Order: sequence, then structure tokens, then C-alpha cells
Amino acid sequence: MTKPVHTVQLFHTCLVNELFPEVGMSVVKVLEHLGVVVKVPTAQTCCGQPALNAGYPDEAKKVARQTIILLSQSSEPIIIPSGSCASMIVNQYAELFKDDAELLPVIEKLTARCYEFSQFLVDVLGITDLNAELKQKIVYHPSCHMLRGLSLDKEPRQLLASIKGLEVTNIPDSEECCGFGGAFAVKHDEISEKMMTNKLTQLTATDASAVVSCDMGCLLHLGGGLQRTNSNMQVQHLAQIIETALL
Amino acid sequence: MKTDFKHRIKQAVEDDALRTALSKATTTLRSKRLSALESLPDSDLTRKQARSAKQEVLNNFAYYAESFEQRLLDHGVTVCWAENAESANQHILEIAQRHQVKTVVKSKSMATEETNLNEALEQAKLKVVETDLGEYIVQLAKDRPSHIILPIVHMSRQRVGEVMHDTLGLPYTDDPAELCKHARTKLRSEFLAADMGISGANFGVAETGGICLVTNEGNARLCTSLPRVHVVLMGIEKIVPTMQDLDQVLKVLARSATGQKISTYTTLIHGAAKDGAVGPEHMYVILLDNGRSTLFDSPHADVLACIRCGACLNVCPIYKNIGGHAYGDVYPGPIGSVVTPYIRKQGHWKQLAHACTLCEACHEACPVRIDLPKMLLQLRANNQREEASFIDEMKFKMFANLASCPVLYKFATKCFRSFMNIFHADTWLRKSIFVPKQWTKHRDFKTPASQSFQDWWRERSKDV
Amino acid sequence: MSESRERILNRLLDSQVTATVSPVKQLVPQDPVPSALSADECLACFCKELDALEVDYYIEDSVDDLKQRLQTFIAAKSLLAWDQKYLPYGIADCLENENCCYDDADMAIQSQAEVGVTGCDFAIAETGSIALLSAKGKPASASLLPFTHVAVLRRADLVYSLGEMFAVKQDEIKNCSHLNIITGPSKTADIEMVLTVGAHGPGKLIVIIGP
Repeated sequence: MTKPVHTVQLFHTCLVNELFPEVGMSVVKVLEHLGVVVKVPTAQTCCGQPALNAGYPDEAKKVARQTIILLSQSSEPIIIPSGSCASMIVNQYAELFKDDAELLPVIEKLTARCYEFSQFLVDVLGITDLNAELKQKIVYHPSCHMLRGLSLDKEPRQLLASIKGLEVTNIPDSEECCGFGGAFAVKHDEISEKMMTNKLTQLTATDASAVVSCDMGCLLHLGGGLQRTNSNMQVQHLAQIIETALL
Repeated sequence: MKTDFKHRIKQAVEDDALRTALSKATTTLRSKRLSALESLPDSDLTRKQARSAKQEVLNNFAYYAESFEQRLLDHGVTVCWAENAESANQHILEIAQRHQVKTVVKSKSMATEETNLNEALEQAKLKVVETDLGEYIVQLAKDRPSHIILPIVHMSRQRVGEVMHDTLGLPYTDDPAELCKHARTKLRSEFLAADMGISGANFGVAETGGICLVTNEGNARLCTSLPRVHVVLMGIEKIVPTMQDLDQVLKVLARSATGQKISTYTTLIHGAAKDGAVGPEHMYVILLDNGRSTLFDSPHADVLACIRCGACLNVCPIYKNIGGHAYGDVYPGPIGSVVTPYIRKQGHWKQLAHACTLCEACHEACPVRIDLPKMLLQLRANNQREEASFIDEMKFKMFANLASCPVLYKFATKCFRSFMNIFHADTWLRKSIFVPKQWTKHRDFKTPASQSFQDWWRERSKDV
Repeated sequence: MSESRERILNRLLDSQVTATVSPVKQLVPQDPVPSALSADECLACFCKELDALEVDYYIEDSVDDLKQRLQTFIAAKSLLAWDQKYLPYGIADCLENENCCYDDADMAIQSQAEVGVTGCDFAIAETGSIALLSAKGKPASASLLPFTHVAVLRRADLVYSLGEMFAVKQDEIKNCSHLNIITGPSKTADIEMVLTVGAHGPGKLIVIIGP
């Protein structure tokens, strides 16, 4: 029996497109290695979360509408390599448009085929063993959107655990927020800094060479902090670690 | 007002002793809560049932308020209704006058903090003594409590020792057991001499007219059984329908607050002393509105399901770093950020809703699963509508216009990227005029990549 | 006064029509499922909880043993006790020669007592709690003022859960001014989270479980 060939649409997110394109490249390479055909709707812009979180729901809806229409042009699964963007689409879109009788059923259909990257690999492709090897010590940072927004924790951990030679360490209070929070990082920078320093102190104490997460917002913030202290610790998206292990 | 909040935050984050104390307390309470919930055969079910008990009242609010009142009257309790803080205090002053009260002992009550009752009683020349150990120290120190369950979490034992030494003339000690013993001795004489005891209520049982108090020290029992007059100040949302409902909420309250299966003293009071028993001769219950009916009329009505356990404070990473005083009012943390704008009827309190990363820890910890992050997000939107600066508004309108038009968006981002790449590309920056200084003060920022993901994809697709 | 009442209730009634409240999702069962535990299992559970609470307890299989046990805690102490008609197993005999006062004594005298002696109206195994209803002759002060509280429990008055107790005893509870469910000695952790026993209530709780 031949394995079904999956074709997916990649919603790469604005942070990946502009600041961390290498993450998008890793996502594509990993998916293709696993036999998935990747398409990229090039008219994508943003999920609208920055506006919603800053207290501008109407502006967020304007952006979200564009995203909903674009992604509804196909009926294939949509892969989102970001817990926060996936959470925005899957959890917030229906709430934002709850009074829009026309768009709600479209959103329902759309969210039913939206998957965060690790979720797609584990829950749809059924990956239990990546057949990959990488001798490295890393620490996994479960972002708030992954852990509590989407209830996705065993998926990324399972993928990491299946990489031979990879040592995955944990820190105490790993479930605590890193302090990014979007605009919060600027609006309440003094609190954000304390939360970041707390988190980085615990992360660097593990002696891991990299902190791995599924959210670029967290990695932009923690990465910026690590750079500031000239630390050797890298920030990596899950897809990047997997790509390195596979290829 | 905005600057006051920012100023308080700044003071708090620079107070290492405070942050250490907060970290220790919240970490301990967090793990105790999780262990305690495991002792329930099905904690999820119990939480749902506790929430349903509160939700049932919110779905029939006036009916339960009236039923509760009727059962109280049946027990000979005098019931007063207070629309606001002044009215509540006024009722209590009148009661004190009626019964020639000179001394009042109080057990811990957030409602009385809301109404600033102590100040009103003292202005009327009554002697008021807080009897919960933490609240007693707060009163002696002329301070304010900073946590719903642990009023002096912000004070070191040395500070407590100083306060008791300075105000009571006792020999200095910083040993908690010694300090507690001193307080016990001092307060015992106050309990015995007091004319009136004032308590809050953790819950009111509509079916029976019972007032439930959940405590550990014994001071609430002393306040409500020794003095000849007992006054209860209770928010109208504290009602639960039946005794079985009370059982459900009690199952989650102590577990969520302190990690105990049940508090040391769970007291259920039905009226004043009966049939010659020793106890209060008169009992009054003041049903307090003070913004609750406005809250009920808002999109945040469900927040009235709160059972005041403090679990949201203990998991909030912001609370952990700034403490209760920074929030500036009676209720701190996630719960405080939602209810304060309604209790104080002032829009500027909505800014508290921005001091949050929407991490959802509070939603997960709340025993009755109030969706606090959703409410905070809505408050942010309300706050922006009322108070946003022109620049801020324009920024997001521009963002919306750009991001909803792919052609414009690509053009704008490409221009920005090309411009930035003249100076920097594919690297991290220490600072830049294009990046807010609040970011670069603490972190480097990643420059736009010289080749965006879509650039790479386009090239790759051409090659294929 | 009643104008405030009308205004508040009317606001609640008006808002109810449009209020954004979630519906009730999970009905609370009004008849709790009685525990399947046997009396012995219940007792074992109760004792396990008492151990965790650091409450001293003694299981006595005869009334004589129980009385002897009680004597060890009350000999040569000043006492504050329930009236004899409420004390189980005839333990009122033990109090006869002791310096003992009751609820008719002046509060100043009551507060001098070193040991409070009471029965228990019931006890809850699940949480290691004892429950005392106040009435004339059964003052709440006996379990509150003295530093040591000795509570004598009839084995048959032990139930498994609070819910069961509420179901069985609801009428009694609502006709009594104070129900006190006591779980361990008085305590506080207000100062630097350091647990201190004996804050305002008894710092020592002793439970003697009779036959």
C-alpha cells in the first residue's frame, strides 16, 4: 500500500519571512524529506496578532480577513511554524468574527485544517521516529502559545526524543513565560527584561548549546538577550534542529 | 496615572528583596496547589462543578440574591444593601452607633479593603483592630496588603520584627514563632474586649442563609463568636445556591489557595447565637454592590465567578516580578487587572491590562477557569479606544492597511529591508533608530535578512 | 435602605436579559455518591489524614481506656468543657474533680482555661476534620480559646466526605448558629511562608476516638 502523498500550504509567518528566513527553509526541507509537497501562497502577509494584542481588534480583523480569504483558496492542510500565529488563527479568528455569519463557517473549515509544524509531523504524518542523529545538548523552551494556547507539548518533545544522540535538558519552571508577549516587550520593557534574565539564567545554566522552541517571538527575545551577553548559546527553531539531524 | 503605574513598576522590579520573597512564595504555593489538586479523584470535574455552582447564580442573579436575603431574614439577621463603598461604611457606622460600639475586631476581608472601612471607622473615633496576623502587621506598619492570601508577602521577618518592636514596644525578634506568639497574646485581649466583630464572607449559601468563612488562624472564629455584634460585609457575587454547591467550591478553594485539602477552620454561620447559647446577640449582613452590577452588565460578567483563591497571582510571571502594591489597588494580578476598572469606575485602571504577556497561566490555574486573558484583551481594546495616542492609532491603522494588501505589504517590507541592508544584514544589532530603545536597552535585535523567505522560495521555484 | 435594595436588584434583573454570562455546564449532584469504604477503611483514612496534619489521635476500644487516656491530658489542668449532657461515653465523670468551667462562666475565666474538652458532632475521614455544632452547653469557645483542644469522637459519627455530612445533617446545620469544621491546629504562614502553629486558636489538637 503506498503512503498517501500530502500536499500542504505553508503559512510561513511574518517573523520568519523577514527576520528568520532560514527557519522557513528548514521547515520546507524537513517536510519535503518526509515526502510532503509544499506550496507557499505568496500573497500572505500576517495573521493580525500584533494588532489584536495591542488592543486594536478592528485593525486585526482587517488583516485577518485577508489571511482567511487567501488561505481558503485551497483546501489543503496549512502548516504554521509558529505556536503564536497558529493559536491566533485556530483560537482567536472565530472569536474575532463571532458576529460575522458569512465568514464564521469559512473560518471553521479553515481552522480544521491548520496545523502547527510539530503537530502536523506527529499527529498527521504519524512520525514516531525521525531516523535522524545529532550529537548535541539542547534545552527545549515550551512557549505559552504551544503549551497552553494549543496544548501542544508532547509533539515537539517526541520529535526531539527520537533524534539519536540528542540530549534534551529541562529547566525548573520551564512552563513560565519568557517575557516576550509581543508589544509587552516594549511597553513594559522593565518587567520583560527581568523575565528574560530569569529565563536565560536558567537556560544557560544547563550548558546546552542551543535553546529550541516552536515560536520565533520567544526566540527573537531570548536570542536578543543571549547576543547581548555574548553568549555562545544559539536559538533554533525545532525545524532547524530536525533539518540538521536529518541531513 | 499611567506614569504612576510605570513608576510603581520600576520601583518594584529594582527591589531584589521583594522579588526574591515573591519568587519563593509563589513557587511554593504553585507546587502545593498542583499536589493538592491531585488528591481529588477527578479535579477537572470538581472544577467544572465549582464553576457551575457560581455560574448558576450568575444566570439567575436577582433570584439568588433575594432567596439568600430571605433565608438570612428567617434567621433573624438584619440585611442591608450597599450600592457603593460609602454606603457600606455608612451602614456599619450606624450599626456601631446603634449598639454603642467602641472597639471593633476585624478578620481578613478584601471587601472591607475595597470600601476603606478602617479609615471610616477610625474617623468616627472607633478603635479598629485587624486580627489576621498579616493584616495586623499591615495595620501596625500603616501599610497595605499585597496579596489576596498572604498580605505581608512583601515583608521580611526582620521588617515584621521591627514593626512589632516599634509599635508595641516589644523586645525585637525576627523569629516567626515568637512574633506570632506576641501577636496571639496581644490580640487575645482585644478579642475579649471588643464590642463588634466584622468579617467578610467567602461564600453565602442561598438555600440556607449560611455565611461561610474559610480561615487558618482562628481569628475569624474569635471575631464572629466573642463580640456581641457580628457584621458581615459581603460582595453580592459570593452567593452559591446550595450546601452541595458549597462543598464543590470548598474542595477547590483551599487546594488552589494554599495547597490544603480544606482550611483549618471552615465555619458556617446561620444567624446570631440561638436559644441561650453564648455568642453574638445581633448579626448583620451587608450585601455590597460597588461596581459588581456594572461588571455583571459588561462582557466580563463571568469574572464574578471568582472565589478569591489567589491562584492566578501565584502563577502570574508579572505579579512575581512586581508584587501586589505595584498594581495600586486592593486586588492585584490578573484578577485585579479585570475587576479594578469596574470597582473604581475609572477608565485609567484599564492600563493594568497591558501589564500581561497573555501567557494563559492564570486561565489554566484558575479553579473555576475564568478566561482572564480574553477579558484582559478586551480591556486593552477598550483602553485603546478611550486613551490611545494619535501616533499609536496611526501606527496600527497603517499596519492594517499594509498587511491587508499583499502588494503594498511586499513593497513596503522590501523597501525597508533594502534600506536596512545598506547598513546591516543577517546580523544582530546593539541599537538602531528603527528599533524602539525599550527593546535595545536590554536585548539585541535581528536585522531583516538580505533574502526574505519568499525571495528564496521564488528563486528555488524558478530553479525547479 | 430599601431603595438601594430595589436599585441593585433592578439592575441585576435588567442586565440579566443581555448579560454575557456563560451557561451552566455541569450540574452539581445534590445527592453525593456515598463512599464505598467500610467503617474500618474510613477510620484508617481519617487517621492517615490526622497524621499528615500532625494531630495526635488515639483509638480506644473501651470506654475505660478512653477515660484513662483523657485523664492524661486533663489532670491538674484548668479546663473549659461542653456540658455533660453533650459529652460522649460519660466522660463528664472525668471532669468532676478537675478545675473545669463551662459556657456560663465569665469569658475572662473561660479564656484562662488551658485545655478545652469537647465531643464531636461528626468527623470527616477524607480531610481528617472534626465538626462541632455550637449550642447552649456546647460553646464554640471550648474548641477555640484554650491552647490545647481535646476532642472525643464517637466512631459511629465518622463519615467519609463533607458532601455526605452536608446531605445527612443539613437541617441540624442550618438550625445552629455556628458549625465549625476543624482540621488540625490553628496555623499561619504569613511571615516569610514559615509555618507557625497556634496562631489564635488551639496550637494542639488531640482526637480520642472511642468505640
